[in-house]
Amino acid sequence: MNITLYAKMLKVHAKSISSYAIGSALYLLLIIGIYPSIADAPGLNELMESMPESFLAAFGMEGGFQHVSDFIAGEYYGLLYVVILSIFCLMTASQLMARHIDRGSMAYILATPNSRKKIAFTQALVLITGLLIIGLTTALAGVIGTEILIEDKPFEAMTFMNVNLVGILLFFVISGYSFLFSCLLNDERQALGLSGLLTIVFYGMDLVGKMSDQLDWMVHLSLFSTFRPVEIARGSVDVWPTATFLFLLGTVLYAVAILIFSKRDLPL
Amino acid sequence: MIELNGLTKKFSNGKGIFDVTFSIPKGEVFGFLGPNGAGKSTTIRHLMGFMKPSKGSALINGMDTWKDAAKIQEKIGYLPGEISFLDGMDGMAFLKLVGGMRGMKHTNYRDELIHRLQFDVKTPIRKMSKGMKQKVGIVAAFMHEPEVIILDEPTSGLDPLMQRIFIEIVMEQKEKGTTFLMSSHSFSEIERTCDRAAIIKDGKIVVVENIHDLQQKQRRLFDVTFASAEEAKLIKQSKLDVISVTENRAEIAVQGDYNQFIQALGDYQIRTIDIHEQNLEEVFLNYYDREANRS
Ligand SMILES: Nc1ncnc2c1ncn2[C@@H]1O[C@H](COP(=O)(O)OP(=O)(O)O)[C@@H](O)[C@H]1O
Ligand SMILES: [Mg+2]
Repeated sequence: MNITLYAKMLKVHAKSISSYAIGSALYLLLIIGIYPSIADAPGLNELMESMPESFLAAFGMEGGFQHVSDFIAGEYYGLLYVVILSIFCLMTASQLMARHIDRGSMAYILATPNSRKKIAFTQALVLITGLLIIGLTTALAGVIGTEILIEDKPFEAMTFMNVNLVGILLFFVISGYSFLFSCLLNDERQALGLSGLLTIVFYGMDLVGKMSDQLDWMVHLSLFSTFRPVEIARGSVDVWPTATFLFLLGTVLYAVAILIFSKRDLPL
Repeated sequence: MIELNGLTKKFSNGKGIFDVTFSIPKGEVFGFLGPNGAGKSTTIRHLMGFMKPSKGSALINGMDTWKDAAKIQEKIGYLPGEISFLDGMDGMAFLKLVGGMRGMKHTNYRDELIHRLQFDVKTPIRKMSKGMKQKVGIVAAFMHEPEVIILDEPTSGLDPLMQRIFIEIVMEQKEKGTTFLMSSHSFSEIERTCDRAAIIKDGKIVVVENIHDLQQKQRRLFDVTFASAEEAKLIKQSKLDVISVTENRAEIAVQGDYNQFIQALGDYQIRTIDIHEQNLEEVFLNYYDREANRS
């Protein structure tokens, strides 16, 4: 890693990292804030029962909510969290490599006595650091928020942390293939487009597969099948096999990205 | 110091560079001339280790520019042909980033260059004009006083005063034994600084020659305005290469022998003499085409 580059890049991206982190934390606090009024509303569970089973299944809400952690998991981690972190990973990944190749500013970075592997590794680390900052800020906001905003409600801190662990690892993989496209392509928009498309396809397959009995095979092809926030929050799944798998997959993607960048022709 | 051996890169569209061979000894300022699209930047990208040759090799200080790219950068300063910096910072932050990535300790020369090129380093990069970016790029290429400096069209975007300061800086570094490779599409831009030059066309080297010989071969066109149309007609009978005559003006080509040109004109009443700006094709490439046809 090159420290100077790392520090400068982190500074350049600091504004976006902190706004995603703050945005994510505030949304989560908002959801926690409305929990008491919803949990006490008598009609909620009846309302949920009246909805089609497949619709609830798609968003992981079948069976109602027993705990704050379930509720947060279903309401926030099921959709908004995924959207916020996806946008961050896709945008930042394409900016860290493809943009500099596209615009030619990579020439200045490479015209220093640092190998291409070192440069790509440093940029990857900037992306991962950003992801960790956002992910951990969100987790912390969840823990502190429930502590302050909710009284006498069961909150499973351990399973809530598991939701965050698997969530962050899922985005380690998503940022991994986004970074791979960013290292592989000469065009920033192409890199962003391809990684965005792949993410939407994964998400769509997961959604369609969950709602339809005939198409449920699709779920298994989707990366998002590894992330079932409500089930994790209920403690009904063992997260370690999934976590290990995601960690290894992400590491391989980043390693391949760095290797490709170190070997290819650059039109600088 | 720099050695290109049959360097070849063929792009999928059939363009590229073919069998480019020349070498530059330590301390020489070498010009790399060619019209747009000739392959200058492609050759330079190989020297920087951005591209892998299809065939042949490029060496700097005995090291392969593709395999040892990172190590070689310790000795190189580089100004890219298309200037594009990282955004989100000002000129100084950019120079500090590049200096920091080099592990550069001394900043005296950097500050001296900034002072001489007269620009405000606190300007955000996205607000800089082309000329100003060019200056920042020049500082980034020179500030660590490298042994080899590679400049891709360095004077494009600089005003005449800055071009003069730039030439001064190049000459000072040359005194210290720095080796230069400088590309350009215009002979006049490099003739004041370079010892030798290569001319490239359609990806192939046409000639490698020293500047004085090139200057001898350079064909210049002069627009001479005479006092009368009769005089203009009369000049046609002289030994000069008169291209055309319209009323009292004649277009005369001169190659090498300027004395003959001046002596011949001495017998006439001359109102003005203008020099025709010519592109590289007209100056040299036609000459080499003629040479090739003759043999
Ligand atoms: N990556 C590339 N792929 C395909 N063609 C290229 C590539 N880079 C350059 N070329 C082509 O090779 C030729 C030489 O380009 P270049 O080296 O940039 O010329 P110069 O710097 O002399 O103006 C041009 O015709 C250009 O279009
Ligand atoms: Mg060029």
